[in-house]
Amino acid sequence: MSWALSRRAMLASTVAAPFAGRRAAAQSWPSQTVRIVVPFAPGGTTDLVARLVAAGLQERLGVTVVADNRPGAGATLGSEQVARSAPDGYTLVMSNIASHAIGPTLYGNRVRYDPVKDFAHAALVVTNPSVWVASPSSGIRTLADAAARARSPAGLDVATSGAGSSNHMMVVRMSQLVGKEMNHIPFRGAGPAMQAVIAGQVPMMSDSLPSAASHIRQGSVVAVGMASAARHPAFPDVPTFREQGFDLASDSWFGLSFPAGTPAGIVERLNRETRAFLANPDIRGRFAELGGTPGDLTAEGYTEFVQREVAVWAPLVQASGATAD
Amino acid sequence: MDLFANLAHGFSVALTLNNLMFCLIGCLIGTAIGVLPGIGPVATISLLLPITFGQPATTAIIMLAGIYYGAQYGGSTTAILLNLPGEVSSVVTTLEGYKMARNGRAGAALTVAALGSFFAGTVSTLVVAASGPLLTSVALSFGPADYFSLMFLGLVISAVLAQGSVVKSIGMVTLGVSLGMVGTDVQTGQQRFTFGIPELSDGVGFASMAMGMFGIAEIISNLERPEARSVMSGKIGKLMMTREEFKRATPAVLRGTLVGTMLGILPGGGAALSSFGSYMMERKVSKGRHEFGTGAIEGVAGPESANNAASQTSFIPLLTLGIPANAVMALMVGALIIQGIQPGPRMVEAQPDLFWGLIASMWVGNLMLLVINLPMIGMWVKLLAVPYRYMYPSIMIFCAIGIYSLQNNVFDVYQTALFGVFGYMASKLRLEAAPMLIGFVLGPMMEEHLRRAMLLSRGDAMVFFERPISATMLGIAAIALIAMLLPALRKGKDSALQEGG
Repeated sequence: MSWALSRRAMLASTVAAPFAGRRAAAQSWPSQTVRIVVPFAPGGTTDLVARLVAAGLQERLGVTVVADNRPGAGATLGSEQVARSAPDGYTLVMSNIASHAIGPTLYGNRVRYDPVKDFAHAALVVTNPSVWVASPSSGIRTLADAAARARSPAGLDVATSGAGSSNHMMVVRMSQLVGKEMNHIPFRGAGPAMQAVIAGQVPMMSDSLPSAASHIRQGSVVAVGMASAARHPAFPDVPTFREQGFDLASDSWFGLSFPAGTPAGIVERLNRETRAFLANPDIRGRFAELGGTPGDLTAEGYTEFVQREVAVWAPLVQASGATAD
Repeated sequence: MDLFANLAHGFSVALTLNNLMFCLIGCLIGTAIGVLPGIGPVATISLLLPITFGQPATTAIIMLAGIYYGAQYGGSTTAILLNLPGEVSSVVTTLEGYKMARNGRAGAALTVAALGSFFAGTVSTLVVAASGPLLTSVALSFGPADYFSLMFLGLVISAVLAQGSVVKSIGMVTLGVSLGMVGTDVQTGQQRFTFGIPELSDGVGFASMAMGMFGIAEIISNLERPEARSVMSGKIGKLMMTREEFKRATPAVLRGTLVGTMLGILPGGGAALSSFGSYMMERKVSKGRHEFGTGAIEGVAGPESANNAASQTSFIPLLTLGIPANAVMALMVGALIIQGIQPGPRMVEAQPDLFWGLIASMWVGNLMLLVINLPMIGMWVKLLAVPYRYMYPSIMIFCAIGIYSLQNNVFDVYQTALFGVFGYMASKLRLEAAPMLIGFVLGPMMEEHLRRAMLLSRGDAMVFFERPISATMLGIAAIALIAMLLPALRKGKDSALQEGG
């Protein structure tokens, strides 16, 4: 860790010099292309959200805003790159639950950034709850059914989009509540996992609402429980975990973060523009369709939010036994 | 007939001026990125996605689909002319296609690739239109155990049919499988064989490996003997196929179309599996099988038809289930969702313009590609006459740009260089690159399905024999293995291969 720290310190000192006139920089920002690093491959929810936001910010800021995919190592590669880039306001990362809450514990020493200290967190873009869905042929209709199946000798198989994902952590937490370990079946991404559930090969899946929403609407899977604090406005018929007696709520989230040291004026401006964009009824409608809730936090609010998430997830990741070391 | 009324409706959508124009743009871009080594449809579509926001959903999807199948057409061009597979599915085309080019039949190889692709595209478009929903249920009936057995069969057959020493080809398959193990373990999230290098946590790059082992290695060995090159550019040969070639290619195209249409529906690398599958089939059953390894036209016609058929039918799971079969389809889902359309079973009724318009546009696009590509074959072939001292550096630069653009990461460029050197050494030792690549692609998928099947069966291996699909595949694999091990049959195979050279 000491090596990483000294390197970071060195970087900070080299990049600080050209930006001594920070106030001036903040006033003229933005004057060139702004790059949003998406730490996932194209096509996923993060990528989609980033592209929507990039298009909106481009309009509001009057400069080109590009989404740049840098996938790898559970979204930590792209995030590390941004943590180390110049804090001039032209490089951001789509910070998210994988790279900033789960990854630092999951990948341990290999993550060479601090999810809170090395970033100037600017704006929360969207949150979406986890949802548990069952294959129609499984006969599982409530979480009580699922718990009964888990406790039976046959056990309960639960598919997820991958080991170490927030959906996997949901399976760990649910297993703790039920008192019987569920059989976790990880897939490579939500698509193949959903297919196995629709085909009835796996009875149950712990998924994020955006990737499950269309399948729930079409009735190809049954939504059994929503892991949100209150019933979701887009799915008012789906009871929450708490209503069914399981004290669980879990949101995955995406936001925008600069490298630490970015002038406060720039961070504030981006926060303002992002929230103004998210307040647009058309955009709210699109997010609602996907099952997401647009964020509306100040920059300080988002920083505290990230801090809280890190504290919540660290012990759970350790309990899950999933490590990358 | 409903089907015809629907198709007519589809054509009325696809043939509007705006949609025709975007279909053409998509096909042109697709062909261009297919020809440029390394720049694949995933990178291109993700770059162009924002441009489609302003267009109606149908137009956007028509253009993106054009890029996808256009790239399959274009990819065969560099595979045949330069031994550079840009995509997994064109690896197989290099095997016979490049040999044909060396024999002065580059024109014929390109022609058969274009015609075969067009025919396959036509048939599979009809299949998508007629039986999409039905075929989806076939794909859904494939469980993890069935996938494992299908892939196991693929590996066994690739070893049985490899050229030259069986020991060497088994060695290369094993090496490929081992390289495929590098990266994050799907079940536990543990890092395997990454030596602390974060870039390796998602595995060794396929594009780096394919481009290094085939493209760069080929360039190194060509530099060794500059003479060979000038001989080749001297005899480009007639562009059109001879009557004899046409007669041999026709059944291969038919078989390739069938294989591609079926395998394309399977999620996860349908196009790649289908071109490998078709190549193996041709090697076994075609009339020209003794010529394999020296430039057999069946080895181009079959796989090229198969991968094009598969790229069309891979839309079936997307359009009928809303499930993307590969990365490109995942981007399509993204494009649809941005447009406010939820892909899935209800799309056929809720968005008839989009569904039938896309299907009709696929056929229109295939026709366009044929018209674009056939007259250009003469031009592509002239590329061979460019002196290698200009050609080498430009290929290398395009490879480097292409590889870099996949993940925007310099590490991938180093990887490619490393595989280039390794590929050169392998060719000196007469170790074939193709079995290694097949092992690399199939190995990790096999492992994943094996472990998932075992997880679901609570560790009971009988699941592989109880399921009829799985049991059948394993049965065929066993027969192939026994056939390979029987000394009498072995001798026969060796002499057949020696005849072929």
